[in-house]
Amino acid sequence: MVDVSQARGAEGPAISMKSRLSSYALPIFLIALIAVSGIVSPAFLSTSNISNMLLQVAPLGIVVIGQAFVIILRGLDLSVSSVMATAAVIATGFSGQNSDVLSILLIAVGIGIATGLVNGWLVTKRSVSPFLATLATMIVLQGFRFAYTQGAPSGNVPPLFRLIGSSTWHGVPYNMMLLVVLAVVFGVVLAKSRFGREVYITGGNPTTARLLGINADRVTIIGYVISGALAAIAGLVLSGYVGIVDNWVGRGFELDSIVAAVMGGISLSGGQGGILGGLFGAAILVVVFNAVLLFGLPVQLQIIIKGMVIVLAAAFYVRRRI
Amino acid sequence: MTALAPIRLSSRVRKNQGVLVVAVLLVILLIFGAFISDRFRTTSNILNIFEQSTGLALVSLGQTLAILTGGIDLSVGSMISLLSTLTSGLIAGKVSMVPPVAIGILLLGLLIGICNGLLIIWLRVHPLIVTLGMSAVLQGIVLLYSLGPAGSVPPSFNFLAYGKVLGLPIGAVFILVLFLLVALFLRYARLGRYIYAVGDDEVGARLMGLPRARVMLTVYGFSGFCCGLAAIYLTSRFSVGQPYTGLNYTLASITPVVVGGTLLSGGKGGVFGTLLGVYLISLLNNVLNFMDVSMHYQLIAQGLIVIAAVSVYVEKKKRV
Repeated sequence: MVDVSQARGAEGPAISMKSRLSSYALPIFLIALIAVSGIVSPAFLSTSNISNMLLQVAPLGIVVIGQAFVIILRGLDLSVSSVMATAAVIATGFSGQNSDVLSILLIAVGIGIATGLVNGWLVTKRSVSPFLATLATMIVLQGFRFAYTQGAPSGNVPPLFRLIGSSTWHGVPYNMMLLVVLAVVFGVVLAKSRFGREVYITGGNPTTARLLGINADRVTIIGYVISGALAAIAGLVLSGYVGIVDNWVGRGFELDSIVAAVMGGISLSGGQGGILGGLFGAAILVVVFNAVLLFGLPVQLQIIIKGMVIVLAAAFYVRRRI
Repeated sequence: MTALAPIRLSSRVRKNQGVLVVAVLLVILLIFGAFISDRFRTTSNILNIFEQSTGLALVSLGQTLAILTGGIDLSVGSMISLLSTLTSGLIAGKVSMVPPVAIGILLLGLLIGICNGLLIIWLRVHPLIVTLGMSAVLQGIVLLYSLGPAGSVPPSFNFLAYGKVLGLPIGAVFILVLFLLVALFLRYARLGRYIYAVGDDEVGARLMGLPRARVMLTVYGFSGFCCGLAAIYLTSRFSVGQPYTGLNYTLASITPVVVGGTLLSGGKGGVFGTLLGVYLISLLNNVLNFMDVSMHYQLIAQGLIVIAAVSVYVEKKKRV
């Protein structure tokens, strides 16, 4: 059994010079973006707008953390939006009191974990492409959700979720604190733990991982499970933010989370990037969307910008790799 | 070109296996449907299935070629939305506008597809990302053009969707001819065989000096062209185009391809399996309708079919 920590050298995970560079480039870009937006539209820097943006970053950020694990493992997870909506539907499926919070949490995260297990099983044991595997689980979950709600979910979100999702403590949103806690925990797992190193090695080169004695299948499955569980938590947080629940809570998050991760330097070819970069990507995305609205530009531009960003960001990183 | 022979042989074995599985499923569903309802057995219902499958068949045809090269075209849904909205928006009820708009829409589809191909070649980004981005851009553009149904088409325009030739739906006949032509192209044309070669072993194909750029432009251009055809057909069927006409077609177009035995990793499969896959999906939805199963369970059934299909045809190569 080769000690994996030695394989990467003493400096921890061998993040290449380029991603080291981009870890400075991203904050600079974000600050520049905020500064320009503030100059063009002073309302952008108002306390209420900043607090609003912070509230929006958290659900996306939580999904991005999970997506980061999967993408570093050379996959991607399209089922996150479906897991989010299912979690949100479950949040309103009970009496709407705080006493049900624990059962809601357990069921929602359980569904997220189960979805992750199916995704991971299809990808590793059946060699299905991640795109198709997660797409199929997304559709199946969506079908079950529709059948369960008969198309029209109703009920109330427990007050505790409302508090976490939409309230602030001295200007700092509770959901942002949750995001920070999750980011630190999973960031440390990814960057410092043995499992984290196995994730990078498996994503960088699965054959090498097997030769090193890493159970690549197990690592990959755990990656999808993390993504599913975090998507469920993000769905609960988002249900607290929007307050009312429909079948489409979290719609578009699958794409947004991938865009954020890719923009943050997490290469789709695997083995590269980190959670901090992904979170910067999420922040940039939220700022751009917010700016589009504040400048009075058509909402449709958001979609066009998203499309261009995903291609250009991918091209930016691919070009430098080859 | 002797070096290409083994690739073709193995691809034919694979293709026949997929086609066989789907054909058996088709027969089982037909027998099952006949037991469930008397109305299922009527000629008009069977013709109805053919008629309904035309749009899906057109999109899936282009998708098959993209997937054969190891790529994928995720922009088809938005492209159909854009093109069908433009079709009824630009025709605006005038008969005289039909021919120029129809030609323009087909050319625009071709052009967008070629853009996809060029971006894939130039940026060296995976087709998944390029077409995903293109999809968002096109969806934004169509919503800038119109937020709801746009324009109208003259009543005679629905001939494309509901007209008949020799008692058969015009779209179904067109589909059969088009699939046959593409199948012959894939089998006998040099470029058609390059599509398999590039999908089977991209590095090998490059080392052999095969024109990858030409293959990509052909494949994605053709997929765009097929979207143009589908957009015109759907506008004729629904009498108007709107910005979400194509929403479900992106995922729906992939299902028949993988069910028909074409591997997402490329190089193996063919359009005949896709056609059977299209009929299988249409037949399944038809049977489920007769069983009074709600839309929700139809979704579950489709998702499970995809999982079953991709688990049967195990892919040994690179993953997307």
